[in-house]
Amino acid sequence: MSFDAIVAPLSEPMVFGTFIGIVVASLAVVVGLTYFKKWGWLYREWLTTVDHKRIGVMYIFVAIIMLFRGGVDALLMRAQTAIPENGLLNSAHYNEIFTTHGLLMILFVAMPFVIGLMNIAVPLQIGARDVAFPRLNLLSFWLTVAGAILINVSFIFGGSPNAGWTGYFPLSGPEYNPGVGNNYYAWSIQISGFGTLMTGINFITTIMKMRAPGMTLMKMPMFTWSILITSLIITCAFPVIAVLMAMMTLDRQFGTKFFAMSDGGMDMLYANLFWVWGHPEVYIVILPAFGVFSEVIATFSRKNLFGYGSMVAAMVVISTLAFLVWAHHFYTMGHGVLTNGVFSITTMLIAVPTGVKIFNWLLTMRHGKISFTTPMLYALGFIPIFTIGGVTGVMLAMASADYQYHNTLFLVAHFHYVLIPGTVFALFAGYHYWWPLIWGFRLNEKLGKAAFWVMAISFNVAFFPMFILGLDGYARRMYTYSAATGYGPLSMVSFIGALGLAVSFILVAYNIYYSFRYAKREGSDPWDARSLEWAVHTPAPNYNFAVIPTVTRLDEFWFAKKEGRDLQAGKIEDIHMPNNSQSAFWQGMAMTLWSFFFVWAEWIPATIFLVATLAFMAYRSFQKDDGYHIHVAEIEETERRYDENGGLRGAK
Amino acid sequence: MAELFPKEHVVGFIGSLVLTIAALSVVWFDVSMVIGMIILLVTALIQAAVQLMLFMHIGETDDKVDIWIATLFAFGIGIVTIVGSLLAMVWGY
Amino acid sequence: MAHHVDHSQPLEYSTPQNRLNIYGFWIFLGAEIVLFATLFTVYFTLSDRTGTGPTGEEIFELTPVLIETFLLLTSSFLIGLGVHAMRLGRKTPMIVFYILTLLLGLGFLIVEIDEFFLYVHEGATITTSAFVSSLMTTLGTHGAHVTFGLFWGTAIVIQVIRQGINARTANKAFIFSLYWHFLDVVWIFIFSFIYLRGLM
Repeated sequence: MSFDAIVAPLSEPMVFGTFIGIVVASLAVVVGLTYFKKWGWLYREWLTTVDHKRIGVMYIFVAIIMLFRGGVDALLMRAQTAIPENGLLNSAHYNEIFTTHGLLMILFVAMPFVIGLMNIAVPLQIGARDVAFPRLNLLSFWLTVAGAILINVSFIFGGSPNAGWTGYFPLSGPEYNPGVGNNYYAWSIQISGFGTLMTGINFITTIMKMRAPGMTLMKMPMFTWSILITSLIITCAFPVIAVLMAMMTLDRQFGTKFFAMSDGGMDMLYANLFWVWGHPEVYIVILPAFGVFSEVIATFSRKNLFGYGSMVAAMVVISTLAFLVWAHHFYTMGHGVLTNGVFSITTMLIAVPTGVKIFNWLLTMRHGKISFTTPMLYALGFIPIFTIGGVTGVMLAMASADYQYHNTLFLVAHFHYVLIPGTVFALFAGYHYWWPLIWGFRLNEKLGKAAFWVMAISFNVAFFPMFILGLDGYARRMYTYSAATGYGPLSMVSFIGALGLAVSFILVAYNIYYSFRYAKREGSDPWDARSLEWAVHTPAPNYNFAVIPTVTRLDEFWFAKKEGRDLQAGKIEDIHMPNNSQSAFWQGMAMTLWSFFFVWAEWIPATIFLVATLAFMAYRSFQKDDGYHIHVAEIEETERRYDENGGLRGAK
Repeated sequence: MAELFPKEHVVGFIGSLVLTIAALSVVWFDVSMVIGMIILLVTALIQAAVQLMLFMHIGETDDKVDIWIATLFAFGIGIVTIVGSLLAMVWGY
Repeated sequence: MAHHVDHSQPLEYSTPQNRLNIYGFWIFLGAEIVLFATLFTVYFTLSDRTGTGPTGEEIFELTPVLIETFLLLTSSFLIGLGVHAMRLGRKTPMIVFYILTLLLGLGFLIVEIDEFFLYVHEGATITTSAFVSSLMTTLGTHGAHVTFGLFWGTAIVIQVIRQGINARTANKAFIFSLYWHFLDVVWIFIFSFIYLRGLM
């Protein structure tokens, strides 16, 4: 690789400025860690931990950092299009920005946030002490980080991908896109996707095999159900993207002809397989959201969830239908009436189970004693806004009408109306809701509610105008437009909404600082909740449950509370725990470097790091690691301190 | 020595050889595409079942229902992907 | 893991973690099914799109394919016997069966590599046409799995030789056998729907 090619993006002032900012911030972190002598602590307690709760925290940390990166992309796009003929970004830079915005928000914000929440909540909800494969869980995390690193270094070293987050051929092919940008795209998805696939397998096994005694499938909390179904979809969808990204790499770096314009290649095959993964992916980020809302709405309505069985049935139906609708993403690509008809019908069918869930939530709230906490506000905001997203989705589902809306801002508005109230609101609801499990205190409610209101209002200001602009023919991904189109005023409104959204995210982040500084620590179960995760002391000890509870019914914890039973009563025994894993961390680093050098077709270092990766796997195969035991005396001491102090803040 | 060669495995092995030869009939005889594909589909599925049941012991633990569901669900998704893609790009284009 | 050994079960199932490992691996095989189904989707879509390159009928040869099939079927049979011997606690026969399995796998790979050279010799390289790209990627993915399996299996044989048959090694050997049988199933589908369909 020539040095000039690597650093070419730095010739742009905006990129250079950002680069300097990143260097300064990284140096500050390094200096800070060194000054406070925190490196060992960071390495032992976090980077190599196999504790599902800490891995969950790290996932969410990554997701929030990436949210700001993706959010800056979004702000730049809205700023560029706020007025006609704007010169803030040139077209090439705009292409990179909308590509990385989509990729980051789906794969490095929504996914790690979802996986973070499931790591934190699922083992606790089912009364387990960890996931089935704790070391693999840590490796999955580092592979997600590897993907995030690749996509974020791309804009400094060699240039970002620029063919849209979908990376359609022929635009992303070697003829039209000769740089390394789309190599980064392929490897970033490939490597993080591998981690996600392992997470899916891990959680299916955990949920199916590690539930507390008595917790049959139909007594599981709804969030756990949603994660079980999500994990099943992950396991069946991510292999498709693995194959597709391998094919993209082969076409771009080795001259194969899968998607080429000559020699029998077929560019439509790319779009087809992309959405065979891509549509289930939508459900991978939305089903956990449904799970969070089910927990939050039941808890804050002080009622059990209405229609538990139908909720489960709806999700099981969605798990299959999610794989039957993909071609609706490219109705206009030229397939026949029959094909479009089939996919149109399956698409409209999927609105049915989703509708069932909406009514179940409404009926859960009916006659409930609703408390308007921050998580509940997100849930309440979700229902009407998401319904707009759903209804416009049914409009788009009709193939003949879609020819009008396709690739306009109407579509962009639609999927933001689904993903922001659906996924983002749910993630923030879950994040506020489960925060005390990890930290032993709640986030500040005033700030939390303020952030919600700013977010909900700004969201509509930012995205509702796009429905109108789209119907007026504003095509997505245009970097600018002329004043004569009349798109100017509504685009400006949209930009103002985007600024508001930025404010709301800053408020969410500020709340972390504020609450760490001022919040008072509380005892367990601050929300007066229903499901088993709240039976542990908070902040949860590393072994979770001193005694694994026995479950006889749904919401066992709620009934135990009412009856004054202690779910963790019983004889304490030694607890077996897995050891931390240094090799998972280093294997993740090796795989990051392997894929980085592969992107640049530097085969010698790429091979070295591939061999290093295999060496870590061999090391793991030969390793005898039986974990360790926490002895009864130590557990009793920990439990006693909880009882005396009402918690363990700062203690291990 | 005989205890090292359980009947189940020997029968499975001979069965898989016979099925391979049966599948070869589509090359040896002049069969139509449809008949040929049916023969191949049947022999391949039986072969897969032989491996799963006689060699991999898919049903030997209490988890057999889960494992069957996971395997068949994945297989179903695979079939849907193949058929749906051909519908979108070859047959229905 | 040494704790909670349940002696009523075969060794590979005897601890909770062992049972989780086997269960998780079955789920992983579900993912592998979808992975190979995707490759078949690609192959079926592109198999007639040969551009200016050769068609399947022109380059497929039955003899090497039959040899490969026979080698893999036999190795799958042998690893089944290996697991059976393991359950009887017979260390030496188990190791012999596993080594024979790996040797046949190696033989399969050699014949397959030779087949690839033949294709290239006949002017069908991976860049020739969409058809050859999809053919070689599908076969190559299977072959890469076999190659990985050879290293993995060797690691397990070494551990059985060193440590004998215990809960840990039995679990690994059993999971490896599932992987190996699965590769045989995939090969049967490749044999039927790539080669025989192409020669039909």
